[in-house]
Amino acid sequence: MRSGIEKKKARWGWFFVLPAIAYFSIFSFYPIANAFHTSLYRWNLLSLNPPRFVWFENYLRLFQSEVFWNSVKATAIFTVGTFVSLLIGSLALSILIFSRKRFRSFFQMALYSPAVLSTVVAATIWLLILDPRGLGNTWMNALMGTSGKDYQWFANPDMSRISTILIYFWKYIGHFTILFIAGLSSIPNTILEAATIDGAGSWKKYWRITFPLLKPTVVLVCVLSLIQCMKSFSTQYLFVQSGAPKAPIDVLTLNIYNTAIRDHQIGRASAISVILFLTLILFSWAQLKLGRSEEVSFQ
Amino acid sequence: MKLKGLFLVGILLICSIFAASTIELTVWTHEDPNRTLLEDRYIEEFQKLHPEVSIKRVTYPSAKIRETVLTAFSAGKGPDIFNMEVQDEYPYIVNQRVAPVNPIAMGYKNVEEIYDAYLEGTLNPVSYQGKLYGVPLEITNWCIFVNKRYTNALGMDFDNNYPKTWEALMEIADQLTVRNGEIITRRGFDFRYPYYLTFFIPMVEQLGGYLLNEDGTEAIINEKAWIDVLTFMKEWGPSGRNLGSPTYTAARKNWNKDDGSIVMCESGLYQILRLKSENPDLFHSDDWMIIPWPTFENAVNPVKGNYYGHYYMVNAQSSSEKQEWAWKLIAYMLQHTNEYFEQVGLIQPTYELMDSAVFKEFPFANVFMNDMSQAGCVLLHQAGPRLEELIREAVESVMLSGVSPENAVKTLKSKATEVLEDY
Repeated sequence: MRSGIEKKKARWGWFFVLPAIAYFSIFSFYPIANAFHTSLYRWNLLSLNPPRFVWFENYLRLFQSEVFWNSVKATAIFTVGTFVSLLIGSLALSILIFSRKRFRSFFQMALYSPAVLSTVVAATIWLLILDPRGLGNTWMNALMGTSGKDYQWFANPDMSRISTILIYFWKYIGHFTILFIAGLSSIPNTILEAATIDGAGSWKKYWRITFPLLKPTVVLVCVLSLIQCMKSFSTQYLFVQSGAPKAPIDVLTLNIYNTAIRDHQIGRASAISVILFLTLILFSWAQLKLGRSEEVSFQ
Repeated sequence: MKLKGLFLVGILLICSIFAASTIELTVWTHEDPNRTLLEDRYIEEFQKLHPEVSIKRVTYPSAKIRETVLTAFSAGKGPDIFNMEVQDEYPYIVNQRVAPVNPIAMGYKNVEEIYDAYLEGTLNPVSYQGKLYGVPLEITNWCIFVNKRYTNALGMDFDNNYPKTWEALMEIADQLTVRNGEIITRRGFDFRYPYYLTFFIPMVEQLGGYLLNEDGTEAIINEKAWIDVLTFMKEWGPSGRNLGSPTYTAARKNWNKDDGSIVMCESGLYQILRLKSENPDLFHSDDWMIIPWPTFENAVNPVKGNYYGHYYMVNAQSSSEKQEWAWKLIAYMLQHTNEYFEQVGLIQPTYELMDSAVFKEFPFANVFMNDMSQAGCVLLHQAGPRLEELIREAVESVMLSGVSPENAVKTLKSKATEVLEDY
């Protein structure tokens, strides 16, 4: 039996979380539920005829579709390529910046600045750089000691994949580096000092103290970057608009867009959205579960 | 006090009656600065003539308008009047989202009179099951724009001997192309990617192939023709003679600049007036010309590049009163056919325009009209955009990914057949 004060507290609790619940219900839960509902219909966006309930036909069609599996492959390649490089790159950069006494703020600011650009602007800048006559080829020719070689940043299927990964890496590396720096700052200095007194070297301190204590930040960065990568759309969209072959970078979000806007098949597009959503939930849950297996405490 | 109250109520009543009698029309169209100047003026004039009508004209980038109109219509909030490329408008006709033309509101006695006012066949793309659903804002076909500074420099005399076949164009483009290693710094000519329904399909048709059979149940007819054209494109691309690629900046965008990056491009007559405003020096010089669209040496069907159009249409879900005013506004704007042509370079294919001195004396108008007489309309099918995407994949796979034309056609046929099963 809960006391009167507890009940009152609970009521106030509900009162305070109500706006957030209302917000998420309207802008998140309802669209998710609606997408699932829509995915069970054969529904032409333009048709005035009522949509036809087809159970899981849209899902079955997707699983038999070559285009869908190509999208899964394109998303997987992009996500793994971006996710791994972002994780390792941002961790390395954060340690490097954190170890600096001078210019730390400058480096943080410089790294973070691409994140404030919209993805469309970022992709447009890179489209100019990666144009066959752009700086991309000039730099690569200088770097590789070649002359007049076209590295086909858009044209070659593998290069177009690498280019999209490169743009995403450039745009978000600063964001995740800042998160790691915040994580590093939260590790109490006393622990590191104690380790130094005990005779631990720099590498040992990082490996035995910093990394384990940084685990919650690693999990956070993993979840955020994975979601970010799997939802990537604008870069691939602009690449395709600029003449890059679609198949190698036809990620699930681009497939959703084309299925809905080009083909008018909103039911099938919703089915892809639901699959993407469930995949994201699954990965996020797995990461959180793995992250919780060894809880970190600074006490 | 009582009197004051009654007075206020009276004012409010008058205001509400006045507000209720105002017709608000929304017009969504693609960006075109030259046309905006004209249409803003027409709308102002129309509103002065009919103070009870208020018009809001909104422009969107050409690439954006398709999805904006679609999402608005799917939410039941489509504009009263809109225009897009006819292949994108076609599903709106089939799904009865647009209203049939109201000839009386447009000032015609009947629909037949509208058909009589336009060149034969030019209203066919918007005629469906015996009804007419739109009137053309513009009809466009492409010819080849040539910058003669570069051809003259190589001793080519285009005035007397221009390339008439794709094979000749390839040879000349090769001579005009300048490269720094593998990187092209000047293209002799390049195609207008990714509008494959407009330029690629007629190339296939020239060799006897078709995208669909007559009843639209089978795709990729006469595979040999498809393989031959894909072989030509492979030869054109980076792995062949390296004359161009979809990844370079669109040729027509750079052509007006005369910046030495492109000698020839495909475009419509409207580009002439854009050239006039963007590069008056080149426009007023003798250094440019327009030549007909080529055909293959062994063409069995000498068709030219497909034409497409933008047609003004009216939302079927707008009230009947709004629909009537919408057609009146469209008729008012389109009665300025000559001005649209002179100021914006848009061809509204009326007999009135074709017979006018303005049209006959306009530079290279005859080149476009000669080609138009041998051109078909771009594919009108609900699966059109999907099929175009598949053709794009096929062309790019041979040009950029090293796929053989035979395999590309096989894949294209199988995917196109799968797409047709959806319709």
